[in-house]
Amino acid sequence: MAHAVISCLHANLAAVEAVLADIDQQGINTITCLGDLVGYGPQPNEVVELMRQRAIPTCQGCWDEDIIDGLNACECSYPSQLAERRGHLAHQWTDAEMTAENKRFLASLPTSLRRDKLLFVHGSPNSQHEYLLPDMNAFAALERVETAGAETLFCGHTHQPYVRELRGGSIRVRVQHNDSSSSEEQDMTLPMRRIVNAGSVGEPRHGNTQATYVIHDEATNDLTIREVSYDVAKTCQAIIDAGLPEVFAWRLSHGFEYAERADDASHVCER
Amino acid sequence: MERWALVSGLGGDLEVYEQIQRELKTKRGLDRLFVLGDLIGPKHNNDALLKRLQQPQRGDLPPECIYGWWEEQLLAERGYRGDRTAEALRINHGNDAVEALLASVDTGHMAWLASLQFGFIELDCALLHGSSADVGDELMPSSSPLILLDRLTRLDVNRLFTARSTQQFRLDLNGGAIDSHIKDLNGEHNQQQEVPKRSVIGIGSGEMFSLYAPGSDHIEFVKVGVKPVSRGLGFG
Amino acid sequence: MSQTWLISGPPGCGKTSWILTTIRSHPGSCGYLRLSGLSEDGLEQGHDAGIDLAWLKDQCPQLQDLSKPDQQCADRIDDQLNLIELQQYRPPAHPGVDEIDPRISNQLKALQLQPDRALHFGREPELPEQDTLEFNRLEAWSVSLHDSVWDPNSLSSFWFELVNGAYGDVYRAKALMNLPDGRAFFCNWIVSQQGSQFLPLEVVEPPTGRPNRASELVVQGKALDGMGMQSTINDCLLSDAVLDMHQAPLREQQPDLSQAKR
Repeated sequence: MAHAVISCLHANLAAVEAVLADIDQQGINTITCLGDLVGYGPQPNEVVELMRQRAIPTCQGCWDEDIIDGLNACECSYPSQLAERRGHLAHQWTDAEMTAENKRFLASLPTSLRRDKLLFVHGSPNSQHEYLLPDMNAFAALERVETAGAETLFCGHTHQPYVRELRGGSIRVRVQHNDSSSSEEQDMTLPMRRIVNAGSVGEPRHGNTQATYVIHDEATNDLTIREVSYDVAKTCQAIIDAGLPEVFAWRLSHGFEYAERADDASHVCER
Repeated sequence: MERWALVSGLGGDLEVYEQIQRELKTKRGLDRLFVLGDLIGPKHNNDALLKRLQQPQRGDLPPECIYGWWEEQLLAERGYRGDRTAEALRINHGNDAVEALLASVDTGHMAWLASLQFGFIELDCALLHGSSADVGDELMPSSSPLILLDRLTRLDVNRLFTARSTQQFRLDLNGGAIDSHIKDLNGEHNQQQEVPKRSVIGIGSGEMFSLYAPGSDHIEFVKVGVKPVSRGLGFG
Repeated sequence: MSQTWLISGPPGCGKTSWILTTIRSHPGSCGYLRLSGLSEDGLEQGHDAGIDLAWLKDQCPQLQDLSKPDQQCADRIDDQLNLIELQQYRPPAHPGVDEIDPRISNQLKALQLQPDRALHFGREPELPEQDTLEFNRLEAWSVSLHDSVWDPNSLSSFWFELVNGAYGDVYRAKALMNLPDGRAFFCNWIVSQQGSQFLPLEVVEPPTGRPNRASELVVQGKALDGMGMQSTINDCLLSDAVLDMHQAPLREQQPDLSQAKR
């Protein structure tokens, strides 16, 4: 059975509709969403309502959390003052725009979903704010999956889709205790694990404007990254009509994220 | 050659601290004394030790302190950690333990305790109470090497000194590798990563402390009043 | 014998860079003047606001400013080379000093300057080949950034957006920008060349508040969104409190400055 995983919708209705149509067309019924339904984009209520109407199991993203808890991320999560001001502006606009019912829905979302050996999170099992980038230290990446007790970890947050298989790993250690001058050696064979990043439906950051998501065939264990075209101009017009900064429309139409990623992507805000 | 003394888990016990200071005087070439948290604890009134740490006596090797798990509980309960309180202490030891902790530290010490850092990075060494993940993280020889490697990687250091487990040990990562196969929209590629030669060192607690020479990477585990069981534990 | 040359050319063709090289290789003293050009049909002149002079003075502190009345006697100094920069979109019909537009020569006369040579980019082979841009319609937008200090990462985001078309079809952008650590950068971009130039000024101001020096941005292009640029710039500039937060650690590293905060 194949299932689809989508992430980072960012209130971009045209993109969400196009991706759901692409999934439907392939006869896939199981969809999981990794959060960030809202933020920056012009249609937060419409996107949340669509997800509720389709009853798509969803975990909470960092934007969803911020909308219900108030701005929680520390300034270190923004790479610049400009990105921070724009982030706050988008936050205030989204906060004012969203209905209480839709906010309650965001508040009800779990931070992770689990199906057998598959784990679904927004950022990492540690935090909605942690970026698991494709070139992250392989041992640290494996630690995230292994500590969470999963075989395949589905995540989003970076807006760059990838499938990473970690295999053939081993670690040898030598241990000395205080009460002996001899040392013992141990070998640990590491299990094979996978990290799958679903990319972004509503705010792509992989070099073009197409929405991305992934399909996992559980029978063959194959993973496919899908790219879907959508009416970018329609969302750009909606951004301008909503009174959001025009530069958001410009960035979206050129395949740039609304705000650059923080310099130190491995930094996790402790607040 | 530079040498450090690494101490933790004093738990307010001024007597142990004085014994350690006396012992350090007999050791040659010690440059620095790091106190890796748990200066305070539930068993003693902590004021005398806190005063001594802030105002060293003549001849004391001046202590460089960070906060540990007990300080974190106290700081949280006294409102220095945002909305958090001493939840971990309350769950494990009940409300009386929280009250006892509050009573054991004069509020005059709070500003100093609140100014303490999470850890020190010295040369290629991280000096922490728990780990780079959490002040309460207990790293031990039996911890998963994957977790130990992750904690080293987070701070990009070659040596991680930890105290939370109270154990004295040295664990060297000395071999192994992992393959990564990455598929993205640009294609597929493979990477291999080797286990870096890094170590996690448990410094002990209370009377058990450690001496470390960063130049030779030599560690010596010490117990107050006892001659070292073994010398030359380093793998330099 | 002193010499006075009039160097003209369209925006971004490399006039100031060529002048800097010429000044550096001239053994004697040099003078410099930037004339405001003449607006041609549909081609607005970018308001330079002293960017070129400030940049050249930073690189060559001895350079004489020919617009200053007290330096007009410079003409008499032997071996002095006076370089007059003029933004001019189209080459004059004929070469030579006699063909200089009378409106320009009158300006020069008022400053007692008489060009010995007139060199136009794109025509004189001794000048580097100009970028072959056809300028038909050009708007200009400029803003004074005096007293302004940029958040460094925000500056790089803004510049990226600016030169990639977020605020209209930009052909040319030129600026002097202050950073909190006291450095300033000459930022330079033209549509026909790959990448931007970010050249640090030699003079570094102490980290003791807002620097007192020229800081300007000049943009030329089509359908420029001045309000959009201004709004982004406002989000990039540091408040007093944030500036102080950036500068306090730098002052601590330079103990003689810690008392000097303005």
